[in-house]
Amino acid sequence: MSEYSKDYTIDELMTVLMAREVKNDDIMIVGVATPMVWAAFTLAKVTHAPDAIYHYIMGNTFVAEPRQVSLLYLEMNTARAYRFQDSVECTLEALPSDKLTTIEFFRPAQIDQYGNTNNICIGEWDKPKIRLPGAAGILDFSMFYARGSFLYTPRHDKRTFVPSEKIDFISGVGFPGGKPSICGGLGPQCVITNLAYFDFDDDTKLMKLRSIHPDVELDKVKDSTGFELITPNELIETIPPTVKEIKLLRDKVDPLNVRKLEVLSGNERKELLEDIIQKELHKQNKFPKLLI
Amino acid sequence: MSSSKLMTLEEAVSTYIQDGDHVGIGGLSFWRKAMSACREIVRQNKKHLSICTFVGGLEVDMLIAGECVSEVRSCFVGMEIFGMAPHYRKAVESGSIKISEESEATIALGLRASYLKVPFMPLKGIIGTDLPKVRNDIKQIEDPLGSGTQVMVVPKIDLDVAILHVPYADEYGNGNIAGAVWMDADMAKTAKKTIVICEKLVETEDIRYLPGKAQLPMQTTSVVVKKPFGAHPTSCYPFYTFDPHHIQCYLKTNFEEYKKKFISNKTHAQYLEEAGGVQTIFNILV
Repeated sequence: MSEYSKDYTIDELMTVLMAREVKNDDIMIVGVATPMVWAAFTLAKVTHAPDAIYHYIMGNTFVAEPRQVSLLYLEMNTARAYRFQDSVECTLEALPSDKLTTIEFFRPAQIDQYGNTNNICIGEWDKPKIRLPGAAGILDFSMFYARGSFLYTPRHDKRTFVPSEKIDFISGVGFPGGKPSICGGLGPQCVITNLAYFDFDDDTKLMKLRSIHPDVELDKVKDSTGFELITPNELIETIPPTVKEIKLLRDKVDPLNVRKLEVLSGNERKELLEDIIQKELHKQNKFPKLLI
Repeated sequence: MSSSKLMTLEEAVSTYIQDGDHVGIGGLSFWRKAMSACREIVRQNKKHLSICTFVGGLEVDMLIAGECVSEVRSCFVGMEIFGMAPHYRKAVESGSIKISEESEATIALGLRASYLKVPFMPLKGIIGTDLPKVRNDIKQIEDPLGSGTQVMVVPKIDLDVAILHVPYADEYGNGNIAGAVWMDADMAKTAKKTIVICEKLVETEDIRYLPGKAQLPMQTTSVVVKKPFGAHPTSCYPFYTFDPHHIQCYLKTNFEEYKKKFISNKTHAQYLEEAGGVQTIFNILV
């Protein structure tokens, strides 16, 4: 029997849920500026998935060892690789290989009911209201990962969850028109948000509420979603983090709270960022701590 | 005996980068960006450059702020955990620069097509996205060999000049990168001119013993510049990491003021002094 934690924050719940998606033989793909994903993968690695391998896209490297999450010294981690990929290998050859199962979490700015996602722009592409940084490899891979793609957002609201006709640019392929992509990938497997956990209906490929986080009302989820959600007759509550998961996350995996930068905003975020920078700059040994 | 290709940064930029050039910049995000060359480009007031980089950040933003850029091709331009790239964002939203929307693969394969001297490369991704709607040079076609498979074809990317910042090089142009190479080797191969900027100048004998040897071989290097801390405020593994305080300073400061303080009429030594001098160097050194 696991003992469940009664005292956890939303970033901790999301990180734990993301970690639980990892399988032991996965290649875990860490993208740019996604410390929550790094924390989740590292938590998985030190709990149920010891054989999973990191693929640092920002380093195009394969790394076996887990290390503490860092803001400034990720590069030190990625450079300690057992293999560097060349350019085309990294983007095309090795990742979609039939021999590998990969897990990658995408964080979209917009997502529709079929799991199509947008990281390019808000408004018209040629005259955008907001130009976003870009979609990078999501354009390349979202449609053919054999194990599907995984989505998360700590900002569950109607700006993020939009109906198909309101998505401004499809830069990540979900189930276009309710069908799987012709490229052979499994398509989106789940969406983990600050309110709930979603998957997709087997037949219609529409987003479906799978479980609702403790203390969240169903109406809150519905009101925060810009399209009609499929909801089960009987609500299931998300299984909370265990005491052990929370302890590992806080003490070993991410004691600097880098993952929280993904959920905080305003002054709170600014203060945390400064705190992390100060702590990291003052370290003598810059290599992120090995966790083995 | 080969000839030395050593030059000052000022000479290298004025000789090899012309207004209107298509310029490839190596590195990725906050890592191993040729920042000293970007500052020199701003100082020399180069105009109408097209910038190609795999994942862009500060360097793209600074060149746009310095009014050197008319087009950007990149799959991501941002400031990571520090937020959006402000001048890039403003320039795209106001339509003052053109962008070529890219993915990781359109850049990797575009560069490969260029040095293989073929007009396009096929790939499996992108199908189902809106990318072809904003790129009329990217097309979905059926396998011309008859398997029935749908593929995307993406065009070659020709570069006039590549600017690459690396930890080690010899004076003949053999460059060695400790850590990830990203698009640097492809850019060196396909650009008409390649500028290699190094932290440490070593002898050819040393290159032989460095892991990976010369990922940037001398025959494709046009010029070598020695510039320690030349990637600051981005990183250069294995020597130093990116400088978070300077990146925050860049984001907080109006670009005219920034330029006056850190770029215009500043030598590299003066730049480093302004950026915090020895204390900053101690902070970022690995």
